[in-house]
Amino acid sequence: MSAQKKKAFQIEAFKHRVVVDPKYAEKTWKILEHAIHEIYNHNASGLSFEELYRNAYNMVLHKFGEKLYSGLVTTMTSHLKAISSSIEAAQGGLFLDELNRKWAEHNKAMQMIRDILMYMDRTFIPNTHKTPVHELGLNLWRDVVIHSSAVQTRLQAILLENVRRERSGEVIDRGLMRSISKMLMDLGPSVYQDDFEKHFLEVSADFYRLESQDFIESCDCGEYLKKAERRLNEEIERVSHYLDAKSEVKITNVVEKEMIENHMHRLVQMENSGLVNMIVDEKYEDLGRMYCLFRRVPNGLVLVRDVMTSYIRDTGKQLVTDPERLKDPVDFVQHLLDLKDKYDKIITSAFSNDKTFQNALNSSFEYFMNLNSRSPEFISLFVDDKLRKGLRGVTEEDVELVLDKVMMLFRYLQEKDVFEKYYKQHLAKRLLSGKTVSEDAERSLIVKLKTECGYQFTSKLEGMFTDMKTSQDTMQGFSARHGADIADGPMLSVQVLTTGSWPTQPITTCNLPAEIRGMCEKFRNYYLGTHTGRRLSWQTNMGTADLKATFGKGQKHELNVSTYQMCVLMLFNNADRLSYKEIEQPTEIPASDLKRCLQSLACVKGKNVLRKEPMSKDIADTDTFLFNDKFTSKFFKVKIGTVAAQRESEPENQETRQRVEEDRKPQIEAAIVRIMKARRVLDHNNIVAEVTKQLQSRFLPNPVVIKKRIESLIEREFLERDKGDRKLYRYLA
Amino acid sequence: MKKEDTVKLISAEGMEFVIDKEAAMVSQTIRNMLTSPGGFAEAEHGEVTFPEISAVILEKICQYFYWSLQYSRGKETEFHIEPELTLELMMAANYLHT
Repeated sequence: MSAQKKKAFQIEAFKHRVVVDPKYAEKTWKILEHAIHEIYNHNASGLSFEELYRNAYNMVLHKFGEKLYSGLVTTMTSHLKAISSSIEAAQGGLFLDELNRKWAEHNKAMQMIRDILMYMDRTFIPNTHKTPVHELGLNLWRDVVIHSSAVQTRLQAILLENVRRERSGEVIDRGLMRSISKMLMDLGPSVYQDDFEKHFLEVSADFYRLESQDFIESCDCGEYLKKAERRLNEEIERVSHYLDAKSEVKITNVVEKEMIENHMHRLVQMENSGLVNMIVDEKYEDLGRMYCLFRRVPNGLVLVRDVMTSYIRDTGKQLVTDPERLKDPVDFVQHLLDLKDKYDKIITSAFSNDKTFQNALNSSFEYFMNLNSRSPEFISLFVDDKLRKGLRGVTEEDVELVLDKVMMLFRYLQEKDVFEKYYKQHLAKRLLSGKTVSEDAERSLIVKLKTECGYQFTSKLEGMFTDMKTSQDTMQGFSARHGADIADGPMLSVQVLTTGSWPTQPITTCNLPAEIRGMCEKFRNYYLGTHTGRRLSWQTNMGTADLKATFGKGQKHELNVSTYQMCVLMLFNNADRLSYKEIEQPTEIPASDLKRCLQSLACVKGKNVLRKEPMSKDIADTDTFLFNDKFTSKFFKVKIGTVAAQRESEPENQETRQRVEEDRKPQIEAAIVRIMKARRVLDHNNIVAEVTKQLQSRFLPNPVVIKKRIESLIEREFLERDKGDRKLYRYLA
Repeated sequence: MKKEDTVKLISAEGMEFVIDKEAAMVSQTIRNMLTSPGGFAEAEHGEVTFPEISAVILEKICQYFYWSLQYSRGKETEFHIEPELTLELMMAANYLHT
């Protein structure tokens, strides 16, 4: 059949190539129109491509392009109208299927038509600026089928309904959904957006607004976040399965806004399950989820961070100001460390190590630790405790770990010089009583302090170690020289301390027992003999002594006591009963120290080598003391603790503070002079700012004090006020 | 040579040229004829009739196809065209989109 037709046409075309038959165009078009019908009816297999192509070619060549084009538009439109009505006729669920099938058919037909009319596409269309065949096909499909009133609304409704069904857990034909959304995209992004995406986002917003309302009323925070996360993932998955990739950002924005942003304050502050509760209960998973979700919305993390910060500050403040806690400094610091560990863990495991959170944590710690002016003292006490006994039998790495943690707390301190002061005292006590567990650990900590605060900070501490070393050598020399004369007397061990390196304490002399005094004289002579031009003075308040004592039933004990206690006990060699006055006069121990040492000798259970009359906790000037010959102890060696290295009492604390203040003055002055030497002229505010900056690593100077120091420097003519501007200072050299 | 790999081109006089599909597809028009979806007669039978192209020209065209293939593979030789064929050949080239 096709051969016959082809033949008939051949003759016609050939004949009329030159002489244009008025009917030629009409006839040729009919053939092409017929072919288009056949293509839409799936009957294309019999058609000759060459023939159709040649006809279209000739039409264009003979200036019938316009006719060909408009004919194409008309024919295609009429076909699409038929298709459109057949789609409209499709029942319920079949609608999408039908639409999808017709779309596939149309696509195929479009390609065939384009191939046949390629010559037109190539020459006629560009010249006349018409729409190319393929695009024309898409446009017609859009206008005739998708935008036909019946299809448009129905398509939209069905798509949204499918999404809704899927959200509520039903299974839908995702492949079909993908084809349809791809079709909308093929028709142009604007078609996809206007006909589907826009409505999709609106409906989703409504859906999630309602759902989040519902959830927030019925769930706790953790559960809510779990649900929100799941919804978010579902939407992302949905987009990847059957929507355009560009929709992902938009739909996630909707979910984020409706489910998180709109409720974030409520979520964070939710009673019994909000952020604070998560922190308290250490719900890392929930916290991590909160972090991930809140990161997506503007200001989400800021909110989380603020709430966390204020919580840390509040609890920290409670901790450092709780009078119960202040009773035990070691426990206090341990609590701080535990707290820090806890937050560190939260930040690393749940907040993905967010720098801003770390900073917030650090600033919170800095804030509340400095609320308590005794923090420096307590940290030093904690270290003291660790280095005395806490670190015994612990591996080197663990020691380092503890020390590093302490250093971390130390970094938060504003008054580092106060810490230094206490640390020096505590270190001195440790060194002199030989109580330090590990010299390596001591040195390691000093190295850490040095890297943190510089050479200046630790030079004196290092000097203390050097003194201990040289004292050992000195004692060896001493016993080598005098070994024979002193063999049967008491043993003496002297530590020579450089003035300035060690914490200065007012020299409170006491009268040593005669036996000891003789030894001391010998040592003094020996020492001054080898080192000329030095002065030795005895720090009796810092020494210790081991005494051998025999009690009532003949049992022997070795008593480890302080120098003061030794002086007191030696008196009982000659008497069994002494009044307070009788003790005070020969020893000349300062009253407060004497009372303390008597207290530990007479009032501590298990260590009461003396008896007191009347029996009471406190020592009064009228008390009488007796040798307790009924004293017993399980141990041969009895350590009678002085009330040492404990937290300072209130007046002592005041005193230390005053000393620290005094020490600060020269430092502030030095800083002012350094700055002025460099700047020559500077106004008051800038000096204060610079000084504060320079001294920050040690303490936070008080502006009033700085002002006073400036005045003092002016008096001493280091500086002068500018004659014109009273706020300006000049450096005088 | 397998039948699927070749195509028969028939001139106006009925002269048949059997050439490689690969060569024939140098022409965009022939390529479309053979690859367009829906199965046109040409694709099914593996032959194309050109009622408006004479045997002389079609022969020259076939030569050109093979020459073009080689040229595209880097063998740069001259393609000789007799002056008297030029006009018709150009019309055919336009038609075949070559």
